[in-house]
Formats: sequence, C-alpha cells, structure tokens
Amino acid sequence: MTVRDTILSRLREALQQPHLPFPPAHSEPLTHTERMTVTHVDGDIWAQAHRFAQELHAVKGSCELLETVTEARLSVVSRLQLWLEEEQAARKTADAERPEDWDVLCWPLDQLQIEGLPLILEEVGFKLIQPTDLHDPEQRERIRYVRAGITTVEAAFASTGSFVVGGRGPNARAASLTPFRHLVVIPFSRLYATGEDWLAQMRHAGKLDAYLRHSRNLSIITGASKSADLEGNLTTGVHGPKVVHAILFDDLQQ
Amino acid sequence: MQVDIHAPYKDRVNQALSDPNLRVAVSKATDRMTNARLASMGAVEGQLLRTQVRKMKEHVLSNWPDYLEQLETNLTRNGCTVHWAGGIADAQAIVKDIALQNSANLVVKAKSMATEEIHLNHALEQAGLRVVETDLGEYIIQLADEPPSHIVAPVIHKRLEEIAEVFQEKLDMPPTREPTKMTSLARARLREEFFAAGMGVSGCNFAIAETGTICIVTNEGNGRMVSSMPRVYVAVMGIEKLVPTVEDAFLQLQALCRSATGQQLTVYCSMTSGPRQQGDVDGPEQVHVVLLDNGRSRMLARGYGEALLCIRCGACLNACPVYQEIGGHAYGGTYNGPIGAVISPALAPEIAQFKELPHATSLCGACREACPVKIDLPRLLLDLRSDLVQEGASPKTEAWGIKSYASLMNSRRMYENLGKMASIGSNLYAGMSGGNIKFMPPPLNGWTAYRDFAPFAPKSFREWWRQRSKMRGQK
Repeated sequence: MTVRDTILSRLREALQQPHLPFPPAHSEPLTHTERMTVTHVDGDIWAQAHRFAQELHAVKGSCELLETVTEARLSVVSRLQLWLEEEQAARKTADAERPEDWDVLCWPLDQLQIEGLPLILEEVGFKLIQPTDLHDPEQRERIRYVRAGITTVEAAFASTGSFVVGGRGPNARAASLTPFRHLVVIPFSRLYATGEDWLAQMRHAGKLDAYLRHSRNLSIITGASKSADLEGNLTTGVHGPKVVHAILFDDLQQ
Repeated sequence: MQVDIHAPYKDRVNQALSDPNLRVAVSKATDRMTNARLASMGAVEGQLLRTQVRKMKEHVLSNWPDYLEQLETNLTRNGCTVHWAGGIADAQAIVKDIALQNSANLVVKAKSMATEEIHLNHALEQAGLRVVETDLGEYIIQLADEPPSHIVAPVIHKRLEEIAEVFQEKLDMPPTREPTKMTSLARARLREEFFAAGMGVSGCNFAIAETGTICIVTNEGNGRMVSSMPRVYVAVMGIEKLVPTVEDAFLQLQALCRSATGQQLTVYCSMTSGPRQQGDVDGPEQVHVVLLDNGRSRMLARGYGEALLCIRCGACLNACPVYQEIGGHAYGGTYNGPIGAVISPALAPEIAQFKELPHATSLCGACREACPVKIDLPRLLLDLRSDLVQEGASPKTEAWGIKSYASLMNSRRMYENLGKMASIGSNLYAGMSGGNIKFMPPPLNGWTAYRDFAPFAPKSFREWWRQRSKMRGQK
C-alpha cells in the first residue's frame, strides 16, 4: 500500500467510526445563495471608485480618480516623473542621475488600455523594460535595480481597495513585486464593488474554474508591502513595493 | 533571557516568567492584535462569518478523503507534482530529494508552520543546503537561532533593542534602533537571496480542491517571491488545509485576515495553480505539493477532529491569559497557545508526550470566543486531560488524591469533621504567622509560593445555617 492509500484509508476508517465526536456525519456545503458577502459597498461606479481610493489610502497606498483616458495618460507620465525626481533627490550624491533611473518594468502597454502611452513615455525619456524570460540570468540582472513597475489588473475590489494581478504570458509577476514603486492602472470596467461580486460574475459566466487554472498565478494585492515584526512598528516596503499608486479612470463613457 | 525549549516544562515556564522583556513584548503585541481583531470582526457580521467558515470546514472534514483526491487530481492536471508524506521523515526526504535533484543549493522559505513541524530547515542543512527564512520575523529568529513563538508573529517575544542587537551582531548593522533602517537592510540582504535561490518553499494557508490552487497569505511579499522567483517551488501543506471552492477560499481568507491581524485582507494572497508555461515571463518551472499527514488522521480517529478546523490565525494565542504571561517557547512544541496545547498532544503518537500542555490553561474560554471557526478548545483540553488519566499518564498521587476526594465528598460526616479540623488547624497556624498562612508543606506550597492562604472560616456555612434555623425556630 502506498503512503497515499494508507492516509486515505485511515481517514475513511476514522470517518466510519460510529461514535466519532467530530465531524458531524451529515454536513452540507455552503451554497452560493447562503454564502455571505463580508463587506458591502453601495452606489454607482464613481461611489465605488471613491470607496476604493479610501480603502487603498487606509493600507498605505494612494490613488487618483480620473474622468478620461487622456487624463490617465498624462497622470501616468507625471507620476513617473515625480517618482524619478524623488529618487534622485533622496540620493543626494554626485551621481544623483543614473541612466537606470529611467527604466520602468512593465507589462505590454497595449494592455493598459491607454492609447499612445508607450510613445509619450519614450518621448519623455523613460525606457520600458518588458522581459521575455526572467530565468535568463541576463534579463534577471536587467530588472534587479529597476525602481518602478507598471501593470494593469484583472479586477479591482472597491470594498477593500484590493486588485488582482495575473502572471501569465508576457505579464511578468515581477512588475508588481520587485520594484520599489508600483503604478497600477485600473479602468472602471474592471472595478467591482466586492471580491464576491467579481467571483459571482465569473462563476455565472462559467469562466471561474478555467480562469484560475490557466492563470497559473493570481495575486490579490491590498496596499503596500509591510510588516509589524519589529515590536509592532509598522514598516513598509519589506519585500514588495513600498509605494503603491493606483490610477483609476472612467473608460465606461467611451 | 532565552527560554530553553529543551528544558522540562516547569523550567521553561519559570524561565519565561522571569524574563520581563518577554512579558512586555508579548502583552503589548497580543493586546494590539486582539483589539484589531475585535474592531475588524465588529465592523462586519463577524458571528455570521464565523458560523459560515465553520460550516464550510465541517463539510470538508466530513468528506475529507474525497476532497483530497479532488485536489490531487486537479493539481496533477495543472502540471503540479503531488507527493504524500505520512510523517516527518517522509516529508523531509521528499523536499530534500527535490532540492538535490535540481541542484538547488540555496533554498528560500516563506513562513510556514508545517515546515516547522517537520523540522525542514535542519534536514536540508544536514544535506548540505543553505536555507534562508525570508519573512522578516522568521529571518530575525533564524539569525538568533530560535524557533518561532507565535503562529503569525514569530518574533513577538523580542523587543526592538534585542532585534537591533541581533542585526548588529549577525549582519554588521551600524548601531540603530530605527525600524525603517533595519527593514531596508533586511530587504537588501534578502533580495540577493531571492535572486540567487534555486528553490522556494512555503506552507499553504489553504488549497482550493475544485481548481487545484495553492494559496499563501503574507503581508511582506516574500510568499510571492518564493513562489515566483526560483525555478522550483515546493508547498508543504497539512492535509486538512482544504476548501472546496474559490468562493469558500475568499470567505476563509477574510476570516483569517480579520482574526489574525484585524486586516480586511492581508497585503498579498498569492494563488498558484501550476508551473510556468511556454511564453510566461516568470514563475517556477516545477511546482511540487507535499500533502502532510503526520498524525492528522490519527487525531481525527482519536476524537480530536474539531481542532483540525483550525485556520492558524493565532487569535486564541492573543486572547489567552496564560500565553500572554509565558509566551510561545514555554509550550515546547511547534504549536503554542491554546490551540498548540490541543494540537501538540493530539498530533503526537502518544498524548503523554505533551502531558503538561492540557494543564497549561485557565479554561477561561477566551480562546473559544476568539476562534474564527468556534473550536471548543476548553472542552478539547478537558478531553485530553481525561484521556491522559485513562492512559495512566497522570501522576499516581493525583489519582490517589482524586479518589480520596471522591470518598470524602460521599460522606457527610467525614466532610464535616475534616472541615472542622481544617478550620481549627488553619486558624491556629494563621494566628502564629500573623493572620494569614504564609507557608504550607508540599504539595500545597505551590499556592503559598506566590500568595498567602487565608484560614478557613471558624464556623462552616452548614453550622451557621443550623444555628440560624434553630434561633428562628425558637422565636
């Protein structure tokens, strides 16, 4: 008998004991109709966007709510420029300006749903790094000191200020993980009131199971990387980004 | 002073109690986490959340082998390799072989109680591998060569100045007590390890049976690092860490975060459903899942299945007045606090291996009130005490004492006579020592070592009642 079979048969034997105090002999699963939504959010998409911003602020993130894609485009550029200036000012040394300061680790920018963004970023001088294989030592070394990453999201939840990033195809997991600062672009069409709403829609469309399997990796991110391990003192940027900034824009009017 | 976890139980407790730093650090942290939990659960329908998570987990355990098989099928279908481990040696050998086969000389680890349970670091180091803990708290205690003392806050027992000393000694950090500087140093050091590691190891907070997905929950991002950066990723999970559906996982995630740290959600919940495919930029090329029994099936058969509902949030530790005083190391096992006092003996081949732990409790019930899955920990602790007696593991003097007490309580005459003698004796003795008894002979000296003993009332209640009734009758 294999270890697997031994374990499974032990469990089956135990569950067949007539006077086993636990678990109850008949216990029903939670059904979709009875399962609770833990945190509720009311209101239209703008109310949800405001709630998202409020929740993200509470977990050491920051957020902008914008009405058009044009504003979003400008906002991405100015945010990256602001970060660049902050980085260089913080360094306070003779080599305050380094070429790699202009590097930005990003997903393919057509996914950000902001037309013309790559062009304008390159015109300003930013170098967009889109690795193809991060197990390749050269490419891995190339991203090691990149200070900013840009991604979009699979979904965002207003109730908790969370967003979901995938790790499939050209979308590097590293873009939302290894840089010191993460800029996340969220069109309103991907904003949901709650995580439960998103799951219900995916389930209803019959996509949930396949989506999770094919994603290989999904991460729900809620704020900046942090720890309270140093006697309760909250510190940010422990391993993941210290700065998380979300740009939400209304793409539903278009 | 560090608690010697290999010392006898009473010595460990005395060492813990005599360390003022430990008590300050633990009380401060547990109070903070308890307040955060109460606020977080109070902000939503917390009781309903507890009821629903319990119901879901009860259903899983009622159908445990079926859900395990479903998980195995789906993990395999997703391209993961599933391993079954009966005990510690099996699990150690599986992980060690994976590392050696892949020439992974450096292993980065995320915080995991299951890997603590199987003493994985020690086994890998004996095989010549270097293992680096990457959770900030775990990293600190690895540098200090100590085990974790709390399920979710492993370094809860250390004050900032003690941690600073460890960093100065082991990482050559210039003297500072600034948490930001200390964190930056750890980030820089550990970033090198993440980029160089050949294998990442984590536990598993829960696994989704319907999709074959391993979920790990962290605030720092090290869980994402260990499951994304190295070529090989290994998740070691206790076989009870199952949820049926994605929606159940999201429900449990929220109960876990609110109960553990009072957060709505932790910063990262990383869900891995398989290895990297062609065209993926990053992610591990191999994903291995080790399904660990190590006494869990025995625990179910022994009648302690309710403790298998535990989602490892640590809320019962924070609520426990005993844990707040002695911290985690005094418990002596991998798991501590009230849940550890149940799990450690119930998982062990012989309950008597941890015979003191079912007594390391005041049975006040605070743990039951805090538990997000409503585990009746006080009852389980009493059941363990009962089993210890049945197995003959309790001291003979205790059994003799209980028998004598039973016969005494069955005879009114004996009870009253003994009461009278105790009253006369204790009042005489107290009179000689100034009002209260300050010392009693063994085994009663356990009481007077910490507090005075008031003498018995000169007149028992029964005597007083009889006299009162007589006087009323006379009137």
